[in-house]
Amino acid sequence: MTSSHKLILITLLSFIIAFSAPWIGLSDIANEIVKQQILLDIRLPRVMFAFVAGAGLSLCGMVFQAMFHNPLATPFTLGVASGASFGAACMVFAGLNVTLLGFDIITIGAFIGALVAITFVFFISQLQRGFSSETLLLTGVATSFFFSSLILFIQYLSDMTDSFMIMRWLMGGLSSASYHSLLQLIPIVTISTAIILWLSRELNLLMAGDDIALSRGVSVKQVRYLLFFSTSLCVGGIVALCGPIGFIGMMVPHICRLLIGTDHRWLTPATIMFGGGFLILCDGIARLLIAPAEIPVGIITTLLGGPFFLWLLIKRRQG
Amino acid sequence: MIEVNKLSVKIQDKTLLSGIDFHVDDGNYWVVVGPNGSGKSTLLKTLMGILPIHSGQISLNQRHINQYKQRERAQLMSYVPQNSGRELPFSVEEFLKMSRYSYHSPLSEWSNQDQQAIEEALTITDTQSFRTRLMKTLSGGECQRVMIAAALSQQTPLILLDEPTSYLDPHHQVEIHQLINQLNKTHQMTVIEVSHDINHAAHPDKQVLALRDGQVLWQGNGPDLLDKQRLKQLYQQDFTFVVHPTNQRLFALAETP
Repeated sequence: MTSSHKLILITLLSFIIAFSAPWIGLSDIANEIVKQQILLDIRLPRVMFAFVAGAGLSLCGMVFQAMFHNPLATPFTLGVASGASFGAACMVFAGLNVTLLGFDIITIGAFIGALVAITFVFFISQLQRGFSSETLLLTGVATSFFFSSLILFIQYLSDMTDSFMIMRWLMGGLSSASYHSLLQLIPIVTISTAIILWLSRELNLLMAGDDIALSRGVSVKQVRYLLFFSTSLCVGGIVALCGPIGFIGMMVPHICRLLIGTDHRWLTPATIMFGGGFLILCDGIARLLIAPAEIPVGIITTLLGGPFFLWLLIKRRQG
Repeated sequence: MIEVNKLSVKIQDKTLLSGIDFHVDDGNYWVVVGPNGSGKSTLLKTLMGILPIHSGQISLNQRHINQYKQRERAQLMSYVPQNSGRELPFSVEEFLKMSRYSYHSPLSEWSNQDQQAIEEALTITDTQSFRTRLMKTLSGGECQRVMIAAALSQQTPLILLDEPTSYLDPHHQVEIHQLINQLNKTHQMTVIEVSHDINHAAHPDKQVLALRDGQVLWQGNGPDLLDKQRLKQLYQQDFTFVVHPTNQRLFALAETP
């Protein structure tokens, strides 16, 4: 089976999930109008929202893994998601209600937080030559803790309502999905995805190391700035709207790499498709597990992701 | 082809190279020698644009090297880093294809010319038989040949090699050196090679640049390197010289106490 066949298969699978998810449990409802309302106003935007968020987070994970030469690097493990959460929490706390260039101030706060975190982690990783994967992850953990404590501090200062809002949102969920939030998210993820797709060949060469990439003609610095910008934008946008949905950025690219190989010209579209379908699936589980109540999807992805992370870590040590 | 003038390179206040002057003509084979930490690899990396120039200048074909885009530079010189490649998650052919980066835009198609370039590189380095193998399954000698094939796929007039034979057994050392000689003689490539092998550097067809503490200690024709005083100054080590029984060339042996 060639890479293109596998990509088509992944895309098909993802579409099957996407098209069947909105219909779950709808047959119990007798009223046609209610049924249609649920389908069009609630289920459809939610599935689309899950697809875009899942694709975006997976894509950012893939980029981090190529850039840092480390399969454990993700928005979550590098502390970028925490940075974005802190940025967003600051804006919630400040109570500002402004839009800038069509984007909500919370999104902008999350973008800045993500950018600060990724720049910081990268800066630390450059301080030391021959930087080990353990040090990178520990830097990520430290960054994550640092921002988490700042978030706790903000929560402590906030009143009950704000504090609950921040906490609920930190669990990561898709319950805020609506056509309005979808319209906020789509341009952000599209811009980032376009940049990342455009840089597929550069990502391949970055995986071979900066020295090789430079000697083959890649302007590594410029490419890296573009990737920082696009991943921060993407993580910021998603975290602002649905909180830090953990580990999806690690599992999806890894599974796709096993399925389709390391060539980013194939891996990038496969990650988008698989990531989108995967988050819809997780969201479906989150909604059904204790139905009629639903649990935040971030809990499901983290429950799946934790053991996966350990498995990767052990496998790496053995390899 | 290359003119280096008063070049100095610094990383975080640490001077790695200073006052380097040398000149490479088309078709030259330069060997850069010197003790560990003398700045040999730094010099190659600076030429390749991996490390920035602090002061002084490097011109390539009479043009300041910083005026070239990285992409243009990659069409003029290729680089084989020290002991690398074996951890890469690509097949040999994929890796060679990546070397054609500078000739492509994101939307351009793989052309016959590209295919020809990598076929030629595979033939010259005699690596056709492992094109589908993964890099991590290659032995040290195979991997070094593939790394050279990848550099050749860039079709550059100049190739920079950083200790291409360290970590290789004697047979593979000879093989790689024959290959580099062939590139220089048959394919008219200009070569700059970093090496610890002074007898290899002392060949009549080679020019030598001897670095110590980031400065040029001596430069000249290969055979003239084999001077007791010169080598003592360079390596802080005494050498004895013997005449090779078959080709009558002088060879240096490090003296042991």
